[in-house]
Amino acid sequence: MPPSKKGGGKGKASQASTPPPPPPLATTTTAAEDKVTSQGGATTGKPPSKESDDESDSAIGPVLPSSSTAAPTDPLPATAALPEPRTVLERTRARFAAARPYEARLIFGSRQPPPTLAEPEEPGPGLGGLKDLEPRERAAWLATRIAARIARRPALSATTTTGGAGAAELARVACGGGAKTVREAWKLVNEGSVPLRAAGEKQLLGAATAPTPASTGIARRRREGASSRGEPAPAGSLEARTIAAAEARWERRVRLACLLAESRCFRAQRERETRGVRDDRTGEPAVVTEREVVEDKRRRLEIAALRRDMAAHGSGPASRAAGKIASNPDWDDVVPVVLEEPAGALASIAYPADYAEAMSYLRAVMKANEHSERCLWLTEHIINMNASHYTVWLYRAAILFALEKPIAEEIEWLNEIALANLKNYQIWHHRHLLVENHFPSIAADPAAVAAFAASERRFLERILAEDTKNYHVWSYRSYLANKLGLFSDADELASVERMIDDDVRNNSAWSHRFFLVFSHPDRATPGAAATEPDPKAPPEMVDREVAYAQAKIRLAPQNQSPWSYLRGVLVKGGRKLGEAEGFAREFVTGLGKGEDEEDVTSTHALDLLADIYAEQGRKEEADLCLQRLGQKWDRIRLGYWEWRRRGLGTEAAAA
Amino acid sequence: MAQKFEQLPEELQLATSAHVKYIQSLDTRKDEYGYWLTEHLRLNGLYWGLTALHLLGHPDALPRDETINFVLSCQHDSGGFGAAPGHDAHMLSTVSAVQILATVDALDELDARGKGRLQVGKFIANLQNPETGTFAGDEWGEEDTRFLYGAFNALSLLGLLHLIDVDKAVHHVAACANFDGGYGVSPGAESHAGQIFTCVAALTIAGRQDLIDKERLGRWLSERQVAGGGLNGRPEKKEDVCYSWWVLSSLEMIGKTHWIDRDRLAAFILRCQDPENGGISDRPGDMVDVWHTVFGIAGLSLLKYPGLEPVDEVYCMPKAVTARVLGR
Repeated sequence: MPPSKKGGGKGKASQASTPPPPPPLATTTTAAEDKVTSQGGATTGKPPSKESDDESDSAIGPVLPSSSTAAPTDPLPATAALPEPRTVLERTRARFAAARPYEARLIFGSRQPPPTLAEPEEPGPGLGGLKDLEPRERAAWLATRIAARIARRPALSATTTTGGAGAAELARVACGGGAKTVREAWKLVNEGSVPLRAAGEKQLLGAATAPTPASTGIARRRREGASSRGEPAPAGSLEARTIAAAEARWERRVRLACLLAESRCFRAQRERETRGVRDDRTGEPAVVTEREVVEDKRRRLEIAALRRDMAAHGSGPASRAAGKIASNPDWDDVVPVVLEEPAGALASIAYPADYAEAMSYLRAVMKANEHSERCLWLTEHIINMNASHYTVWLYRAAILFALEKPIAEEIEWLNEIALANLKNYQIWHHRHLLVENHFPSIAADPAAVAAFAASERRFLERILAEDTKNYHVWSYRSYLANKLGLFSDADELASVERMIDDDVRNNSAWSHRFFLVFSHPDRATPGAAATEPDPKAPPEMVDREVAYAQAKIRLAPQNQSPWSYLRGVLVKGGRKLGEAEGFAREFVTGLGKGEDEEDVTSTHALDLLADIYAEQGRKEEADLCLQRLGQKWDRIRLGYWEWRRRGLGTEAAAA
Repeated sequence: MAQKFEQLPEELQLATSAHVKYIQSLDTRKDEYGYWLTEHLRLNGLYWGLTALHLLGHPDALPRDETINFVLSCQHDSGGFGAAPGHDAHMLSTVSAVQILATVDALDELDARGKGRLQVGKFIANLQNPETGTFAGDEWGEEDTRFLYGAFNALSLLGLLHLIDVDKAVHHVAACANFDGGYGVSPGAESHAGQIFTCVAALTIAGRQDLIDKERLGRWLSERQVAGGGLNGRPEKKEDVCYSWWVLSSLEMIGKTHWIDRDRLAAFILRCQDPENGGISDRPGDMVDVWHTVFGIAGLSLLKYPGLEPVDEVYCMPKAVTARVLGR
């Protein structure tokens, strides 16, 4: 609010000239004009003589040229053009300047050339403040302030033109003056087409400095310094980012948020399916379709890629921390170990800045063998950028054990990493280490072991649904079966059976089944070789497995896995291959009887028959099988079938 | 066999010079994200690239001195080598280091400028599990038949096989034999062509092929060939060029390469190359990388593709090198 000057205008001889355009304010200035109040108050100039039929005018010392003497105002002068914005901060300033032309000048000054971001400034003449403005500009600035104030209070503005008590009230609120002042203000604003909405102070100064209630206005901006006066924003901050990078970052964040939400929905649905929940409305059991599974897998790959990307480019909460480990006081006592490349290194490494920084801190704390929460955070941070760095995993395990962290939480976290990095060895070795560490504490409690086995199995099923034959996962599964003694666990066997039901061609599942069945402590000789007969294997069990393999073969006769399984079972049971002769012949008809009659639906069946006939001394029949395989049914392995024929030692084979 | 290759169409010839350029360029792609994501494979990558260059007949395409310097810069006091300077020592990178130095005929640099041959041998030997005979990758104990094979490979090249309990290790390998004729990563684990290579090669180095059921294994390996001519690693999986090495070299070691259709395999490998920019990928049309490049070329060498140096099927190094070092 401008200080009121009693009798400040009316009647005083104006020393201000009133020539046609531009109508000046009084040019005599008083010391008061140099004062800048914390309200950002305007200096008041002596008004030119003006007609005033509005009493309240006298209270303020009107500062606006009266409309009657005012010549048509020029359009408001263009602000000193700032350079084409490149960073977010520059853009914000450009917008601010466009929306509040005089404010920008007040803050940045009217120097030519305009201040660049690179030059910090000391306060001084020509650097802002009302006195840098031309009087006409001052008037225009005041007008915009008044009008903006009114614009923020739409309820009041309706009364502006109606006059009367409402108008007076509004005027008092808006500028401490009279309704006429307000009208003048509007006139200037309308003629100059000044926008009334503009970027706020907070955005201009950046997130780093939050305005406090006690400090507002120009003086504060001057005191705050740096970004308010054109200094560059701190590197790595939001404001320093280029516009393109900021928009790209925003897009990535939005995309990531959408993907995470979708993935959460999928997981919730899957959870409902597992628990057999029924839909409220339809009563149908919740179901997850195969397409949804494939879609979620794709989604999670994209999530991992986005996170890596955002971490690498310093955009996102994890990496807002990243580029700033050095500026994080938590890490002040650590001297990072920066890698010196030997000159002309043959295979020298170049890293993005965030990863380089994280790795240099890692080297430092690993050297010191520090095991603390912040180091744990650091390992997670690096793993998010690069899950293949095996040293980080080992260090993380050491920290977890040193801090005696609960395994369950770590496994929850590890599950998500595993799902996003399906081809990664280290994750599964890490899990192995966790189990080795955790198991002794539950070994004596069968219920705890069973519960752990069940929760592990739930996750294994989940991840195998993504990648049904993942070798790391299945290797871990066989390790776990051994560790927890799951050979007699009906749930484990049922789980594997389900996988075979889902895909009879899953060789990993078949392999695991063999392992479970023929390692059962009651029904197998400990340490027996997989390729040798085991007298301890009960005949009923062998029969059951033979029948199981045969049933599955019938579903897909050319599928190799159950044929290998069948042979393996017969060997384990000490049976002759010939027991499967009738079965094998289901898949071969009219052998050697010519193109029209001969039909083979499984080359493995023909292969087995050749072995069976050889076992029984029926060499000619064996030779026929092998011939037909090499000539027609499995030509690509001709070399093998011919070798088999020679091994029979028949005349035909020798031919 | 040579005539058959000449009958292949123009686009299925080996693009030797493109591959050489590709390998030489690998070190220069420092601005690529994937480059630094694979720094934990850097020394291994050097071994793959160098071996491929030797097999292509361009042994000098990478500067010898810089190669040696880089390798030595990865060594720790323990004798072991990390994957890159500053990385912790690990079995796999140690093996690669020994293979590289052997290939460029610089094993004596280990004594001259490194921590000594014996120290390297001790690092490897210390990783043997005294109870089971198998090997860990590093002090943290991940065990895998790959590490067992690596130990045999490196120690035999250094002439230090006597530092370990070979019999126990052999016993462990035998325990990994599966009902289908193959070998897995550990006892009871699924048969996998990569693991089969490590087990068979280890047994070969130890002179214990008598423990292998060659007919059953050969049968399992021959079944890896799919209609397109390529090889997969397990039943009902996709063909992949790297299995051209793991499966083919295993077949070679047990003398059964004629159990697959070699022409069709060669044609498959050649279809996987990028004839313009160089390099070989896992299957036709995919992105190339140095891993698949070396194993594709090594596969072609085993198939006696003309113009390639013979490769040692046990060591995956030029036969000229293993002959020189081992007198094989």
